[in-house]
Amino acid sequence: MINKQYIIVVLIAMTFWSCNKLNKENDNTLLYWSSNNMNEIEFTKHFIDKWNSEGTSKIKFQPIPEGQSSEEVILASVVGKTTPDIYANMWQGSVEMYAKAGVLVPLDTLEGFTEFIKERCSKETIKEITSADGHIYQVPWKINPIMTIYNKRLSSDFGLPKLPNTYKEYLQAGEAIKKDKDNDGYVDQWVGYTEVKVLWYQRFFNFYPLYLAASNGGSLVKDNKAAFNNEYAIGVFRFLQELYQKEYFSKERLSAGQDRFITEDIFTKWTGPWEINHVNKFKQRDDFEFDFFPMQVPENHEGPIYTYADPKNIVIFNTCKQPQEAWNFIKTLIDKEGDKQLLEITGQLPNRKNIETEEVFQDYLEKNPKVKTFAKQANYVKGVDNCEVIVEVFDIISQEYEACVIYNKKTPEQAIADAAKAVDNLLRN
Amino acid sequence: MKKKWLPYILVSPYILHFIVFVAFPVLFSLVLTFHKWNIISPMEYTGFSNYTKMFNDRLFWKSLVNTFQFLIIHIPLQIIISLALAEFLNQNIKLKGFFRAAFFLPVIVSGVVVTILWQQLFGYDSGLFNRMLVSVGLSKVGWLIDPNIAMGSIALMATWKNVGLYVILFLVGLQTVPAHYYEAASIEGASHWQKFRKITLPMINPTIFMVVILSTIGGFSLFIEPYIMTGGGPLSSTMSSVLYVYKQAFEYFHMGYSVTLGFFFAMLILGVVVLQKKYLERGED
Repeated sequence: MINKQYIIVVLIAMTFWSCNKLNKENDNTLLYWSSNNMNEIEFTKHFIDKWNSEGTSKIKFQPIPEGQSSEEVILASVVGKTTPDIYANMWQGSVEMYAKAGVLVPLDTLEGFTEFIKERCSKETIKEITSADGHIYQVPWKINPIMTIYNKRLSSDFGLPKLPNTYKEYLQAGEAIKKDKDNDGYVDQWVGYTEVKVLWYQRFFNFYPLYLAASNGGSLVKDNKAAFNNEYAIGVFRFLQELYQKEYFSKERLSAGQDRFITEDIFTKWTGPWEINHVNKFKQRDDFEFDFFPMQVPENHEGPIYTYADPKNIVIFNTCKQPQEAWNFIKTLIDKEGDKQLLEITGQLPNRKNIETEEVFQDYLEKNPKVKTFAKQANYVKGVDNCEVIVEVFDIISQEYEACVIYNKKTPEQAIADAAKAVDNLLRN
Repeated sequence: MKKKWLPYILVSPYILHFIVFVAFPVLFSLVLTFHKWNIISPMEYTGFSNYTKMFNDRLFWKSLVNTFQFLIIHIPLQIIISLALAEFLNQNIKLKGFFRAAFFLPVIVSGVVVTILWQQLFGYDSGLFNRMLVSVGLSKVGWLIDPNIAMGSIALMATWKNVGLYVILFLVGLQTVPAHYYEAASIEGASHWQKFRKITLPMINPTIFMVVILSTIGGFSLFIEPYIMTGGGPLSSTMSSVLYVYKQAFEYFHMGYSVTLGFFFAMLILGVVVLQKKYLERGED
């Protein structure tokens, strides 16, 4: 009996001792979560190995644990207080909510942050990432601008005089390309395709970049009010509505099956630079050629053509015991050399000013002209407005988008006015 | 002394489980209905505002109507098909074992897999169903893109997925009907239909009741199918109540509001099931 008791006491003591030891080990080690994209894992591993062999502190790296979405995993970790010290793949739209909840470190309170960020980013980017309380909680890291991909062969086959840059040209291309290839009485070749599902984030690949393009980077929410009840948003809804009405776009969820850009059933698609590797990997003919051009704009558009940046940023959680040390690491990760490696290993663009002309990136961009197109576009990109309920704002727009654009149940004017009214109500409450 | 404590010790695991996983969550949820909470910020007391919001929330009421639409299509379809198949399997037919297994197979396949498969079948331009319709000269159907049809399509798929389970239940019910009832009816000159109406149906009434209750509860929890196939569209026509509660909780983080909807919905299911029970019991009498 005594022996049994003795064994139990020893086991409990060992458990406490080992937990304590683990904590002590963690005290000096920063935990870094990256995305679970293979290239990014390779980049992070490469970088952290180097840091750990040279740096004063140690970084432990792990890809974000599996979950339905990274946003859900982060939320669960915040609730369970198991957040990493550094998380590098935070969607810009989530930051305001976490900042308000006080779970992020205000980075502008750290030594050297403000100077570094001013040198790295444009004034517009800094304004965009500054929270309502005046602090900065995120480090702009990488972007994937949304542009129009097109099939070069189809362009010449259809005899298009030029790339369809405006709404009118795009609609004309739609008429030229629309075809019933198998003569069953239904169209099966279209000028383009974009996801019809009402999910809020699908608007990042159709309505939102078109709105930014038309409005020269306009806001959806400004001064806690809807700011999109204007000619630009109405114009975008009308343009998209016409594409569906005239059957230039399919209402079916084509994305549920084969990639219709690769099978050459569609001429264009609104997408980001990740499409380069995807198309090269899965294309069905060796002579399949493609390239990218900016989003379509109204005929009377003046000025540069903006688009959605799809930014992913780095944050430090307040569970971090050494935020200054964490910042020192991040600073190295995103300096010019770090950004160069990010570009070379992952093919993703760093979110910094003048990337197109920076000497350090020239070699890579010259060898990868398609990425260079995105680098040029990177001068005119925007993330999302800093708003705690931005997901709901996009959801409201999505509901109206579906009613107006896809099902023609409302006029563009009515749909945008209804969406703006609903967003105002939401922001008031 | 030892004997006095023993029963408590033996039931304590269940009591503990009940407190942690049932009583506490229910009470906590009830408290939550009077608060605004996004999980990560402190709770904010808001009185009855969640309830007021619920009564004015057009989309929530639409989701309820959608759910009832689903039930109206799904339950009769489920009962008729499963009873017919059970009646078929209750005969002396060849390959009985094979058919039983075949009808039951969709029940054990993952709901997500079945949903994705049917999404392909329902495709407008490339789906098998529309290709078959076009090949015989009929028009394509917007199975999942026509707001008037989408919920019916989902009900059809859900029926296919679950029918095997109810076939087994009905088969058990049919096999409990004493054979001499049928023999007596045959001697009296009853037709097959009369035997079915006057003997089979009354005798399997408890099974019908169970199937109706199970289908109702299952139907009220409609989630995977619209979540994967349509996201609640087109035009919110497949937005089920559970999907809406989920969206409120995990897309917008309106925990207080989603729990309020959940409570209301649970009460509604309870009400419907009690009504069904009373109605079917009256039929038995």
